[in-house]
Amino acid sequence: MADKTKPQPKSNAPMLIIGLVLIVGAVAGWYLLTKPKAPTAANNSNTAAANSNAANPKTATIPANAPPGANPPNQAGSPNALVTVEEFADFQCGSCASVHPVMNEIKAYYGSKIRFVFRNFPLPMHDKAYDAAVAAEAAGNQGKFWDMQNLLFSNQKAWASSPTYKTMFKEYAQKIGLDVTKWENDMIATMTKSRVDADIERGKGVNINATPTLYINGVPFQFAEMQAAPLKAAIDAELKKVGEGAAPNPAANSAPANANAAK
Amino acid sequence: MTPETEIADERSAAPSRKWPVAAAVIALIGLGDSIYLTAHHYTAEPVPCSLIEGCESVLTSAYAEFAGLPLALYGAIAYFAAFSLAVLAAFGDTRMWRLFAVLAFLMAAFSGYLIYVQGALIGAFCQFCLLSALTSFTLFVIALASRPWR
Repeated sequence: MADKTKPQPKSNAPMLIIGLVLIVGAVAGWYLLTKPKAPTAANNSNTAAANSNAANPKTATIPANAPPGANPPNQAGSPNALVTVEEFADFQCGSCASVHPVMNEIKAYYGSKIRFVFRNFPLPMHDKAYDAAVAAEAAGNQGKFWDMQNLLFSNQKAWASSPTYKTMFKEYAQKIGLDVTKWENDMIATMTKSRVDADIERGKGVNINATPTLYINGVPFQFAEMQAAPLKAAIDAELKKVGEGAAPNPAANSAPANANAAK
Repeated sequence: MTPETEIADERSAAPSRKWPVAAAVIALIGLGDSIYLTAHHYTAEPVPCSLIEGCESVLTSAYAEFAGLPLALYGAIAYFAAFSLAVLAAFGDTRMWRLFAVLAFLMAAFSGYLIYVQGALIGAFCQFCLLSALTSFTLFVIALASRPWR
């Protein structure tokens, strides 16, 4: 074409601008995708300090007069352990699913040294979370709460976006060997729902506004820290504190803290 | 019917340069927002599911993806297309401006649907998504104001 040999600066200008924006946009996107993640306090081994620094003003210590929640709660470890780790979670919450393996590790690692309590706190914005909580409680009636809890969290993406999620819950019930008829009856039983409701009441009583929320002997533990290492450090510290008995010596306390940091 | 007269005709037919230029600037804002949201979709560190701040609820919801890709990526493509058409229109191409108007209408309509999803289906709003809705509505208003059907 003859036109091609004749440069037309005016018609090139828009293409230059568009090309420039395309390149800048691609570079910006690439940069955002690959930039190193901001260092979090979680990498810091000094959990206690990080915890108090980052203390969420909205999440306070569990008051003694808080509603008790479902009784008995869904608990693992020893009911008589001196340290209670209490998690409020929502089965439809992605962050709850992401910390779920950490919680399993904690349960397995400490065994009967701690009491691990799981509280249902389905958030109102999650349309299937309440049903999922009831499904887990109904499994709990047959002693398989934790099996159902595991399946619900590990398959969260599948059922959370599926209109047939109840069928999927039923498949999970079969998978973990429940008496499915009893489980289905329990799903609609007031008794089962009242356990979920009791947990929600407790959550509201302690002003939970996000999930997962974790307490170690009633003291909130920050979400940003919910990885195995910082969580173990905090639980170890609490075990040590309760193990030392009723007469903690402030002077003695600072020395082991240093020794701990040096390990 | 030489190219020169055609270009001249289109110039005179082009309503005004200010509308396409304004649209290009707004589209750039929308593009930046969409790129940010797309990158966020892939790199987001988990944060708690909060009753108060809705952004994560929206961005991690089942509605945040279509055909395996984040909606924000489609948004980025749409804003880039809108920007390109606006730039071409700013340089006098009226047909591109009409295409822009059609695209702006579709984007505004889809943004309206996404606001419905956030309000009625997720129950939470994400400020970056609302910014995108605002920019697409603005693009549509600019398209209307320029009266592209003239």
